[in-house]
Amino acid sequence: MRLRRWRQTRLGLLFISPWVIGFAVFYLYPFFATLYYSFTSFTGVGNPVPVGLANYSGLIHDGTFRTALFNTFYYTIIEVPLSTAAALGLAILLNMKVRGQAIYRTLFYMPSIVPVVASSLIFVWIFQPSFGVVNSLLTDIHVQGPTWFFSITWSKPTFILLGLWGLGQPMVIYLAALQGVPKEMYEVAALEGAGPLQRLRNVTLPMISPIILFNVILSLVLSIQYFTQAQVIESPPGSPGSSTMFYVTYYYQQAFTDLHLGYASAMAFLLFILVLIVTVLLLKTSSRWVYYENDQR
Amino acid sequence: MIEKIHSTERAREGAVWRRSGRRQRRRRAALTSTVLIATSATLVLAACGGTAASSSSNSSSGVVNLTWQTMWSGNTLTLLSQMVNAFNSSHPGIHVTESNIPSATGDAKLLSEIAAGDPPDVFTEWNPVLGEYAADGTIQSLAPYLTGKYAGLEKWEYPIALQGGQYKGTLYALPMSMNSWALYYNKSMLKAAGISAPPTTMAELYADQAKEWKISGNKLSQIGFYPIYNLGFEYFGSFFGAVNCFNSAGQYDFAGCKGAQSEASFLAQYDKYPYADVAAMQTAYGAVAGGDDDAFVAGKEGFNMDGPWEGAQNIPVTNPAMTSNFGVEAFPGTEPAPSTFGQGNYNIVPKGAAHPSAAFTFISWLAGFDNVSFTSQIDPKGGWMPASPAIVSAPAYQTWLKANPWLQVFVNQMSSPYSVTPTLTKSESEFETAEATATEAIGEKTKTPQQALAYIDAQANSGAGG
Repeated sequence: MRLRRWRQTRLGLLFISPWVIGFAVFYLYPFFATLYYSFTSFTGVGNPVPVGLANYSGLIHDGTFRTALFNTFYYTIIEVPLSTAAALGLAILLNMKVRGQAIYRTLFYMPSIVPVVASSLIFVWIFQPSFGVVNSLLTDIHVQGPTWFFSITWSKPTFILLGLWGLGQPMVIYLAALQGVPKEMYEVAALEGAGPLQRLRNVTLPMISPIILFNVILSLVLSIQYFTQAQVIESPPGSPGSSTMFYVTYYYQQAFTDLHLGYASAMAFLLFILVLIVTVLLLKTSSRWVYYENDQR
Repeated sequence: MIEKIHSTERAREGAVWRRSGRRQRRRRAALTSTVLIATSATLVLAACGGTAASSSSNSSSGVVNLTWQTMWSGNTLTLLSQMVNAFNSSHPGIHVTESNIPSATGDAKLLSEIAAGDPPDVFTEWNPVLGEYAADGTIQSLAPYLTGKYAGLEKWEYPIALQGGQYKGTLYALPMSMNSWALYYNKSMLKAAGISAPPTTMAELYADQAKEWKISGNKLSQIGFYPIYNLGFEYFGSFFGAVNCFNSAGQYDFAGCKGAQSEASFLAQYDKYPYADVAAMQTAYGAVAGGDDDAFVAGKEGFNMDGPWEGAQNIPVTNPAMTSNFGVEAFPGTEPAPSTFGQGNYNIVPKGAAHPSAAFTFISWLAGFDNVSFTSQIDPKGGWMPASPAIVSAPAYQTWLKANPWLQVFVNQMSSPYSVTPTLTKSESEFETAEATATEAIGEKTKTPQQALAYIDAQANSGAGG
C-alpha cells in the first residue's frame, strides 16, 4: 500500500516537474539571490562585497526612499477603493438588461486593451494644461484647470484618474460574478420587501465578496508596484518635485540607472515584505466581510 | 461513429497496459520522467537563452562572428543596418550581427549579460556611464590595440571626442555619434517680435526671448526661451566653466565653483516663467514622433539649445515646414570662441569578449578611422557630429555642409579649444540624475540656486556605492 502511494506521489511529482523547475529557476533562485545581494554592495559586475545591514539602514535614512514610500501609499490608499468601487459600479450598471448592452460592455472594456505606454501618451495630451481636452472643457464652465501631471499638487491625483482608464479587467470579472448570483435570491428578497439598495447590500455584495477580495488584492499589489505610467510621462522621472517618485520608480533608478544593485535588492526585498504583510492583513480581515457560500453548509 | 472508434482504441490500450505488468509500468514511468525532465530542462535552457549558440564564435569557415548590442530605435535602425552591411562586405573575415534592444530594457539586459559573464562583443552606450563600467573592470582598455596602423587613432580624433572615451587617461571607448550643443532660433518668431538679428549676448537673448512668450490667462501657447528644463544645468555648463567642478580631493564641488554659481544664477533668471506649463508643452510634443518632436520643432518656441540632430533629422522628418525657418548660432556670450561640451554614444568592448581584436577593428571602423568616406555619408544622415576633422574634410561631408550651412557652428565647436567634455567618474549617473533634479528644482523654485548646487554635490558624492 505504501509502495503504491509512493509510486503515485513520484508520478505526480514527475508530472509537475516542469512547473517545479521553472518555479525554482525563475522565482525561487531570484528571490534568494535578491535577499543575498541586499546584504552586499554590488554594481552588477565583479564580486558583490558584503556590507551587512548597511543597505537597510541606508534606506531608513534615505529621504527619497521615504518620499517614494509616501507617494506609493498615497496612490494605493486612494486608487484601490476608488477603482474597486468604480469597476463594481460599472459592472452593476452593465449587468442591467438594456438595449445595446453588449455595445456598452465592449466600449467600457476596450480601453483596458490599449497598451499602457500608448494610453499614457494619450493622457499627456488629454490633460495638457493649455490645449488639452479636459482644461478646454473646464474653461467652458469658467473653471481654471491645473497643470495636472506637471503640478506638484495635482500629479498624483492625475495618475489616479489615469488608473481608472484600465477598469475593464476587474469590471469583466465583476460582471461574471454578478451573473453567477442566483436569481431566486433576488426574488425572495423582493418578496420580503427589500428595495434595490437593500438587495445590493444584502444579496449582491455578500454573494460576490470572494471576487471583490480577489480584485482588491490584485489591485493592491499592482498599485504598490505602480511604475510604467509615471516613468513614461514624467521627465526627469519622479518629477515634479519628487511628487511622482513611486517606490518602483526609485527602485528602477537605483538598480538600472545608478547601478546600485545591492541597495535596489534591499528595496525589492522590503517591497516583497510590504506586499506580503498587506495581503496577509487583508486575508485575515476577510473572514469578517467575505461570504463563502460553501462554508455555511 | 468517432466516439466508438475512440472507445475501441482506449479498450485496446487498456488491454496492452494490463498485459504488460509491473516491469512495463516501471519502464513507462521511467520514460515519462525522462521525457518530462528533458522537456523541462530544454524549456528552462531555452528561456535562459544561455546556449552556446548565443555567444560569439569562430565559424568553421574561419569567419569571426561578433554581436553588437545597441539601444537605438526609430529611424536610426535603418542607418545601423547600412553600417553593418557595409562592414560585413568590406571585412570578409568578420561577420557582425546587430541586436537592438531599446533603452530601458537594453540597460537591464546588458547588465544581466555582463553579470552572467556572457556579454556581447561590442555594445554602444551613452559615454557618461563609461566611468562606472571602467571603474568596475567591466570593460576592456583599448590601449593594447593602439599599435601599427592604429597608433595614430587617438590623435586622429577631436580632443573632446577622445576625452569622452577616456577614464583616468586610458582609452576605453571609441565614439560613433558625437553631440555638440548650439542655440537654435525661429526666424519667423524673431521677425514677428520685431527683432532684426539673433542675439549676440546673454542679455540680448533674455530681452529678445521675453518678447516671444505668449501666455493668455493660464494658457501657454508659445515659449520664448526656457533653459531650466531637462538637463539644462548640464547643457549650459561649458559656457560658464561649470562642467568639471571638483575639489582637491577629487569630489564634486559645484557649490564652491564660481562657474556653477554663475550658471545657476543664469538659470534662475528664467524662473519667472511657468515651469509646469513648459514641461507640459514639451512632454506633449515629445509624446509624438517617438520623442523626436519638441516645442521648437513644432514652431512654438523661439530659442532652443539643442544638438545637430534637431536640424538634421527631427525638423525635416517631423515638421518639414520648419526646415527653412530656423537658424543656429553658438550660445551668445561667455567665451571668445564658440564652445560646447561634448558627449556621445560610444562603442565599448566588454571584458570577457571572445574576439577583442576583431571587436576593436569593428569599433574603430564605426568611428570612421580607416573608413572616412563611408562615415562622412552616414554621420549627416544621423545628425551626428563626426569624431574626427578628417571626416569633416571628406567631400561628402563638405557637400552636406554647403547644403546645410547652419551645421558649421557645430563643426567649429568640435575643434574649439574652449569646448570641454565631462570628466568621467564612477558616479556619473548619479551626477546626471542630480543635475536634472536640480535644474527642475530651480524652475519649480523649490530650491535656491545655491541649494540646488549643494544638492548636486551631495547626490553625486554619495553615489559610489552599490
